[in-house]
Amino acid sequence: MIGIKKIKQRNLTFLEKIYLIEIVKGMLVTVTHFFRNLIDITRVPTIRYPEEHLRLEGAARCRTQHRLKMRPDGKPKCVACFMCATACPAYCIYIEAGEYADDPIEKYPVKFNIDLSRCVFCGMCVEACPEDAIIMDTEIIPGGAYARETLMLTKGDLLKNLPGGEYSSRKGATQRLWIELLDKSGIKR
Amino acid sequence: MIGWQFILITLVKILAVISGVLTLTTLLTWAERKVSALMQDRIGPNRAGIMGVTAFGVFHAIADAVKLIMKEDFIPGRANRIIFTLAPVLALVPVLTIFAVIPFGNYIRIGTMNVNLQIANMQLGIFFLFAISSLGIYGTFLGGWASRNNFSLLGGLRGAAQMISYEVTLGLTLVGILMIYGSGSLQEMVVKQGQMLWGFIPAWGVVYQFPAFILFMVAAIAENKRTPFDLPEGESEIIGYFLEYSGMRFAMFMFSEFAEIVLIASIATTLFLGGWQIPFLLNDGFHLPGDIMVKLPHFLVAMLQVASFSIKVIFMCWFLLLVRWTLPRFRFDQLMGLCWKGILPLALLNIFITGVIMLIFGEKL
Repeated sequence: MIGIKKIKQRNLTFLEKIYLIEIVKGMLVTVTHFFRNLIDITRVPTIRYPEEHLRLEGAARCRTQHRLKMRPDGKPKCVACFMCATACPAYCIYIEAGEYADDPIEKYPVKFNIDLSRCVFCGMCVEACPEDAIIMDTEIIPGGAYARETLMLTKGDLLKNLPGGEYSSRKGATQRLWIELLDKSGIKR
Repeated sequence: MIGWQFILITLVKILAVISGVLTLTTLLTWAERKVSALMQDRIGPNRAGIMGVTAFGVFHAIADAVKLIMKEDFIPGRANRIIFTLAPVLALVPVLTIFAVIPFGNYIRIGTMNVNLQIANMQLGIFFLFAISSLGIYGTFLGGWASRNNFSLLGGLRGAAQMISYEVTLGLTLVGILMIYGSGSLQEMVVKQGQMLWGFIPAWGVVYQFPAFILFMVAAIAENKRTPFDLPEGESEIIGYFLEYSGMRFAMFMFSEFAEIVLIASIATTLFLGGWQIPFLLNDGFHLPGDIMVKLPHFLVAMLQVASFSIKVIFMCWFLLLVRWTLPRFRFDQLMGLCWKGILPLALLNIFITGVIMLIFGEKL
């Protein structure tokens, strides 16, 4: 049995029916906002997006631009197993595998391209990776681009990406370690 | 009288008024976005710039013009080509024509001649105003009809019904003013508004005819087809009469709408806010109460009066933008009800009361 609640509508008073006073009341609200923002536009919550970025709270769960992790000796953690490329629903990962001359077991990616213009940021590649090599924690949100080529991330770009990202306020111990690692590996930043 | 000087001076005046009006109209297209943004706690247009100078986005007006010129000029296959082409012109021309009778200043002395700062000082200027403003309906209606699109036609019909209804009331709201100032010449009306009531209240129309001022503003906004009454167009939901228009033809409809804001602001300023009058400023300087007098040269006085008119017009434009971005839209039956059951009787009542008061107290002016 559904209870029925009758809402009594209040009849408009005479002054409300004339509508003029209500108009003035409404205009007072808009005029207040107008002059408040005219005097100090910084009160407006809008950010000028490509120039300004907001700190992304809860970045652990936030999926942003990819990076490839490195081992302490500067080699990529990735073993070119193609798990991520297989899991990718947008087919945006392209890998070419190669072998180390001195290592008969492990492979490494000769090429590792991510086409950001096709990526849907689902995070499947991160889930699929058995080596924990690809991760989406850079806090860089790719915006638009003037040419398609600039949206194609190569292995070098992915290795250069830093955790915490360019605009992140989390630049701390992790990032310092990462920069040291980059310097050691000889990849130009 | 009509010598080459007269023609030259008239041409210069036309040039000045048209360029002033068109500049203000162009700026209004930017101001509307900026004012609405500030009212809604947004930033508004701020990207378009020349050499990195954005100047709060003023260049968006230029960017719009460039964009609209570049757009395809499309005429639907079944449309009536001649009338389709003519309609935007018919929408814009009456609006610009009315500025001929708006006095934007008193007079300026050049050599021995007193140049009246009004393009045409007609004895029946106010009737000229009504006559020409009612021609604006043709742009709306023919635009909707010639598109050969049922939705456009319905929009045009709504527009015609609304504009004809409000044309009547618009005229009646101004009868009170006409009675008080006893002249059809707008320049003469403004001159009479320079007097003082009890020595310190300026005898502006808004003082004598406050109800008429409100009724006039309501009717004028409806005549302008802007938001509380934008049913002919309904840019956000309803399909309006310029549905089939694109490019510069569409721009002309929009432009006439914005020019009409300037026009309404000018008429309201002229009839109700004292036109170019500044309180206590006479032809030779300020005459403040208490026999204080500040002498000013004639040229400066004339310029101050033109500036006063411009500032009042800009304020009224801002006010109209404010109304447009504050109020929600009326329903069509409410719109018609407001016109025929609300404003029309009130305007008639206003005329009656004005007449009775003038009969009892005699001619005030």
